[in-house]
Amino acid sequence: MSEKDVLLSIKDLRKVYKTRDGELEAIGKVTFDVKDQEFVSIVGPSGCGKSTLLRIVAGLLEKTEGEIIVDKTKFNPDKEVGFVFQKALLLDWRKVIDNVLLPIEILKLDKRKYVDRAMELLEMVGLKGFENRYPNELSGGMQQRVSIARALIHDPKLILMDEPFGALDAITREKMNLELMRIWSESKKTVLFITHEIAEAVFLSDRVIVLSARPSRQVGSFDIDLPRPRGIDLKTTPEFNKYVIDVYKTLEVQ
Amino acid sequence: MSLTAKKPLGVRILYGFWDFLKKYGLTILAIVLLVLIWQIVVDGFHIKKYVLPSPKLVFNSLFGPQAAKNHWWKHIRTTVLEVFGSFALVLVLGVSLAVLISWNRWLNRLLMPVLVLFNSIPKIALAPLFLLWLGYGVKTNIWISFFVAFFPVVINATTGMMSVDDDLLDLVKYLDAKKYQVFLKVRIPASLPYIFSGIKICATSCVVGSIVGEFCAAKSGLGYLMRDAQAFIDMPTMFACLFLLAVIGMSFFGTISILEKVCMPWKRSRRED
Ligand SMILES: Nc1ncnc2c1ncn2[C@@H]1O[C@H](COP(=O)(O)OP(=O)(O)OP(=O)(O)O)[C@@H](O)[C@H]1O
Ligand SMILES: [Mg+2]
Repeated sequence: MSEKDVLLSIKDLRKVYKTRDGELEAIGKVTFDVKDQEFVSIVGPSGCGKSTLLRIVAGLLEKTEGEIIVDKTKFNPDKEVGFVFQKALLLDWRKVIDNVLLPIEILKLDKRKYVDRAMELLEMVGLKGFENRYPNELSGGMQQRVSIARALIHDPKLILMDEPFGALDAITREKMNLELMRIWSESKKTVLFITHEIAEAVFLSDRVIVLSARPSRQVGSFDIDLPRPRGIDLKTTPEFNKYVIDVYKTLEVQ
Repeated sequence: MSLTAKKPLGVRILYGFWDFLKKYGLTILAIVLLVLIWQIVVDGFHIKKYVLPSPKLVFNSLFGPQAAKNHWWKHIRTTVLEVFGSFALVLVLGVSLAVLISWNRWLNRLLMPVLVLFNSIPKIALAPLFLLWLGYGVKTNIWISFFVAFFPVVINATTGMMSVDDDLLDLVKYLDAKKYQVFLKVRIPASLPYIFSGIKICATSCVVGSIVGEFCAAKSGLGYLMRDAQAFIDMPTMFACLFLLAVIGMSFFGTISILEKVCMPWKRSRRED
């Protein structure tokens, strides 16, 4: 792929938090590109600044040094981003369906046109029939799935996902992985995905970026040359497991 | 009941009444007992009616053949109007003021000290001033009552709006939400429980404020009637006024509790079925 295809470019990004007990360097120096329609995962030890990185990309946090370049000809970074936060963050006072439609209201789009889509998304995340429930009537994993539907409702070009499947059981997680891959490949989206699960990262991604412990640096970047479409069977192949072990070793060295 | 069925408003109000009964049933029983003992004591010790009238006399002044001379309805109407008027004013102005205070740092620093300073004056002492400024009447009493009652609502609503979790704000901010959207979609709804606890404090203050206004100067209202009756040492009428004020205060409080259930259905959704 050429330079032209780059959607998001992160250059020498550094983040220092100013806290009561002085400065805390969360991100040391991170540089990578995300290409249009690419699925990129970031793995790294807990507390290494993955969430911080994603928040900076979403414009929720100021960076300390470095550059984030977005190709504005490809999408509008204010409106065409979907963010699945590490916590579900549902609004207690809104029914599930209204939580899913929140981005539509914020973006001042015509809500009626998106109701059907919201129902489809809820069905996709396995929550058909729960649209009129309040969040406190759902389990933690169900709430997290609502938040995934919410992040997709406005059909964003760039999807930022911060350990979206962390609260799910193994089987649901597997299902959600497949659904995410389907959405991604069908609708030509670009995904920046954070996870602790190396196998999940390899399974989903075109590229896996490995960060070191805090202050984080990029210690590895693996192009995952596995054929698509990918099915569960892939996980038993030696090629797949070779990637998993490579990523694991890079992480372990830290 | 199916998972998706929406509870109709009527059912929700019924739930409200049931809650009211559960909460206040014993209280009502206690009041009935108190009245009984009162009657027995007054009869037994032959207490004079200008010292302490018996409940029966109080009842007569309300519903007996002589009741019409007091024009009860007129006075009740005035007082209720003042109580509800000031309540509505407190709600609208109080929440708006809270939005202003939490809008940004500067407005906060500007308005908060003024508010705190203002709150340290005994606001009932303002009543004579208002009379001079506005003349006497329902409108004046509404304003007096407003000033007596509005502080807790402003403070509570402000606390609610300022204590919203930063993460929840990020949820709308990453979509470039405008500030008014942040308030409409997140801050104000999140502060509803706080606003309601402020409102409950203000409910009694609204009644106090209205009566104080009527004491000072008025043409009608239960406070006015009480002062009038005082001149004739008409104890039964004075007690009847007190009784009516208690009833007004209680139904007002009950209405607010029901309103709370209706406005915040998610608070009780777990218990529903
Ligand atoms: N608002 C903040 N103020 C100060 N320090 C912070 C703040 N947010 C995060 N940190 C610190 O920055 C570091 C990175 O945090 P971050 O949440 O980005 O980690 P993470 O990689 O997402 O971890 P995890 O995998 O456990 O979610 C941590 O050491 C954390 O203590
Ligand atoms: Mg994190």
